[in-house]
Amino acid sequence: MNWTEMDWAEAFPLRRSVPWRTLDTEALVVDVKSGLLYPLNSVGARIWELCDGARSVDDIVGVVAGEFAAPEATIRADTVEFIERLADAKLVSIERRRKGESR
Amino acid sequence: MRAGRGRPAPSSLAERAPRVEVAGFVFRVTGLAASDRVWVTERFAPFVSRRAPTVTVAVAATERYRRGRVPRPLATWRNGHFALASHPSRATGDLAGQRVRFSVGPGPALNPDLFRMLCGFLLAQAGGVLLHASAVVVRGRAWVFSGPSGSGKTTIAQLAGNRLVLNDETIALRPGRRAYTAHATPFYGSGGPAMARANRRAPLRGLCFLRKADRFSHRRLSPAETVARAFPEVMLPKRDARVAAELLGALAALAERTPAYDLAFAPRAELWEYLDELD
Repeated sequence: MNWTEMDWAEAFPLRRSVPWRTLDTEALVVDVKSGLLYPLNSVGARIWELCDGARSVDDIVGVVAGEFAAPEATIRADTVEFIERLADAKLVSIERRRKGESR
Repeated sequence: MRAGRGRPAPSSLAERAPRVEVAGFVFRVTGLAASDRVWVTERFAPFVSRRAPTVTVAVAATERYRRGRVPRPLATWRNGHFALASHPSRATGDLAGQRVRFSVGPGPALNPDLFRMLCGFLLAQAGGVLLHASAVVVRGRAWVFSGPSGSGKTTIAQLAGNRLVLNDETIALRPGRRAYTAHATPFYGSGGPAMARANRRAPLRGLCFLRKADRFSHRRLSPAETVARAFPEVMLPKRDARVAAELLGALAALAERTPAYDLAFAPRAELWEYLDELD
């Protein structure tokens, strides 16, 4: 299954154990494999915080839509793309499971 | 071939274990041959110190050549022990024991790249950073100019006129009670030894991340932007999670206490008037 076919209600992103910290509303994430630092803006920082393995992508979209003023469709598309990029950079892993299933 | 080898060793320069002071850390360098002692004393001349040592660096020459792998800088830190590597040399040690073992391959007895990395590591432990930057003291306070190679660090140092240049390539920043202090280092860039003539320091006025341009402009950076701009310019490998985490904390503290700017500049002396008018 590829990204476009994934059911986002059953996809649970989990931050990898990398050094990171927030400054004001932004976040800085270090990829120690490459030695690179990823600066995240306030929306990116919030999504990063929410990638705790307990929330699905749908849950994260819901939280972000409740906190930032933008159409939900825009937030959904942007959030999915952002999480895909984090996964490509191996900064988050995506676990697939049914809602309510224990990890 | 090592610089200094085969030359006579004047007695005044060939002390048994020269001491080099960088940003308040005093390194006592042992295990050197007489000619290498002369080389260290000459190469780091303005930074030679008589103060009590902070760390003993025991140098052991390992004239060994290894092939078949791409060397990359390394820094690891576990349970108080650390290892640093910058091909063809390595440093290992225990900070609690204040002793570092320096294994050097062909080249200078005190490999400046590795020595610089060691200084960066110790600074990070003390909450400071060793930054790829030049610095100029203006009315008693240091402007620090950082950026990748070619961004203009040495150009700005050469525009300093009668102002004190702390270095054109490598600056140490250490936190104090009220503000950070910028320290000179012996690790100069394309400006050569003239850019590291004195072991001086000054309170930090501000950080500028450079861009060359035809005219002057600037933008104040947020703390997060400051960390993001500074992180690649810190002279320390960042592939160890604990080292990277320590560094992230040190930079965040620096960014929250220091004004920082994105600075586009033209190579003209009016730079100093422009900086005077920054907020």
